[in-house]
Amino acid sequence: MSDVVDVATGLEFFITGLGKGSVYALIAVGFALIYKVTGVLNFAQGWFAALFGLLPVVLSTSLVVSFEISPLVAVAITVFAGLLLGLVLEFGIFRFFIGEPVLSVIVVTLALVASIEGIVQYLVGPGYRAYPEAVLPDWTVPLALGVELQGPFALAIVFAVATVAALMAFFRYTVMGSILRAAASDQQAAMVLGVSIERTIVVAWAISLTITSIGGVLFAMSTSGWSFAPYTNIGILVFAAVVLGGIDSIPGAFIGAITIGVIEELGTGYLDPVVAPGFGTVLPMLFLLVIILVLPYGLFGTERIERL
Amino acid sequence: MPCGEYFTSYVSRMGLVRWRTERVAFLLALPIPFALPALLDTGTLSVITQIYIFIVAVLGLNVILGYAGEIVLAQGAFMAIGAYSSARVITTLGPGLLPAVFVGGLVTAVAAVLFGLPSWRVKGFYIAISTLALQFITEWFINAREFSGIHGGPQTTLPSEIGLVGGAVPISSIQDTYYLALVAAALFALVSLNISRTGIGRRFRAVKENDLSSAVLGIDVFRTKLLAYAVGGFMVGVAGGLFGFYIGTLNVGQFGVSLTLEHYLMLLLGGVGRVWGAIIGVSTVVFLQDELRTIIQEVAQGATALEPLFFGAVIIVYLALEPKGIIAGLGQLKEYLRSWPYAY
Repeated sequence: MSDVVDVATGLEFFITGLGKGSVYALIAVGFALIYKVTGVLNFAQGWFAALFGLLPVVLSTSLVVSFEISPLVAVAITVFAGLLLGLVLEFGIFRFFIGEPVLSVIVVTLALVASIEGIVQYLVGPGYRAYPEAVLPDWTVPLALGVELQGPFALAIVFAVATVAALMAFFRYTVMGSILRAAASDQQAAMVLGVSIERTIVVAWAISLTITSIGGVLFAMSTSGWSFAPYTNIGILVFAAVVLGGIDSIPGAFIGAITIGVIEELGTGYLDPVVAPGFGTVLPMLFLLVIILVLPYGLFGTERIERL
Repeated sequence: MPCGEYFTSYVSRMGLVRWRTERVAFLLALPIPFALPALLDTGTLSVITQIYIFIVAVLGLNVILGYAGEIVLAQGAFMAIGAYSSARVITTLGPGLLPAVFVGGLVTAVAAVLFGLPSWRVKGFYIAISTLALQFITEWFINAREFSGIHGGPQTTLPSEIGLVGGAVPISSIQDTYYLALVAAALFALVSLNISRTGIGRRFRAVKENDLSSAVLGIDVFRTKLLAYAVGGFMVGVAGGLFGFYIGTLNVGQFGVSLTLEHYLMLLLGGVGRVWGAIIGVSTVVFLQDELRTIIQEVAQGATALEPLFFGAVIIVYLALEPKGIIAGLGQLKEYLRSWPYAY
């Protein structure tokens, strides 16, 4: 009897891990996309997700300003805000850092991290904010052994798979996609052939933050509310995901994120009681260090060969 | 070259104080830090003490980032390790402040070398990612009460009066802390200046500029990087220990990513790889921060959370406009004034 229960718990951890991994995948794919096309290592990705996760709460309740828009519209606006923020960031900040040293870009994204933390702390504080009931899916997907997949996670899996498939198709079959690929592989050659690098960068930022906004909202839905701390962990777990996948590979980021989500959940389920609370979140970070030491180019990354 | 003074030997060319004006300025400026405690109120003195402590920390960062070019995002973790380990030494063994801070520095140096192990395989932003991960792991480790046997609990309160060595020379007032921090800052500034003038410093710079070609020239890149981690980590750890005593009660929240960013801002604002840059950067930022806090408190209560937003905006604008640092700007100004009123 206890065996069956153990398998069921294990499966539940695994399934939750898959769901969480899919949420991470949306954010990680956004990260990988920016890195692939613009070469910017966006340390603030998790914090952007936090911002987007908060937005539906702000819009649909009278927390900061009394808009009280219908919750579903608020979610739609959030996704649109993702697109908009992508454009604002590109035109307002990152345009000035094309061709600047890695250090400057990293510090700029860290400065964004601090700014977002400052804004959020000032507006709503670090506490928990419940999501409006109307947007929370009240259904679950029943699976084997009485395990159920939560609604938000099911949505996340669907969205993540669809996004990755759509992005891969976009890169392979559309003209814009080929332009993005060209810009990613050799900026100068692409420019010579008449590609507007600036436009490709704008497109990359817009797509990336749109995907991130979906991820941010779904993550908040999965815990049926928003709080700041989990997102800071996502910020670093996304790195584990993309490094495992090979930083500039979109399917790699997807697979990496799923792996990281499963590792985190299994770690939380089985190792937290043994070691200390929160070890499940640290486990993927330790895993990240191992990957960096053993397999720096990840599973699908482009290996860079240096010459003098 | 200004007319009238020439270097006649390499020793004088390499000297720390080279020109007559510099010598005079040095002698004139020397009494100022010692006279300050008599002139200023305790509030300002406390701010200047913090500046001295942060100078040590940023000089440590400067060794790692400015000299060896490793983008290490674990500054907060290093400070935390230094602070907690020296606090642990003080509360359990009680050998006095100096030995405790020294042990804190050594522990941080060892931790920094461990943090630097990924540089065996990777460089650049991979180092940034791995050290950021280690920053989070360190925060989690210190926050976990399960490991209190190692780090002494996430919240540690230090005694307000500690002997310098053993029970001798008790340090309690802000004046005492001020002098201690001043000595530490001066000592490590001298150490940093000398590191940059010796072979070690040149090896660091070679690795920073191009690790592949310095390997071809026979430099053991990995060892050089680890040495930079150890030296820089020691300095940051000492600063952490002093900072812990300065603030009295340790809390993990004080050693987060925002502290790392703050120190990066200080170093970048002053000038990366320059000792005077670090000193100027720290002084500017800490004074600004203090002023800003007062202003924010007056304008709106509870708006202190907006402080990081301000600094984030400053650093972004600054990096977009003048990424070389105040010290480079001062150099340009000096050149301009030297040939004034002529263009050159």
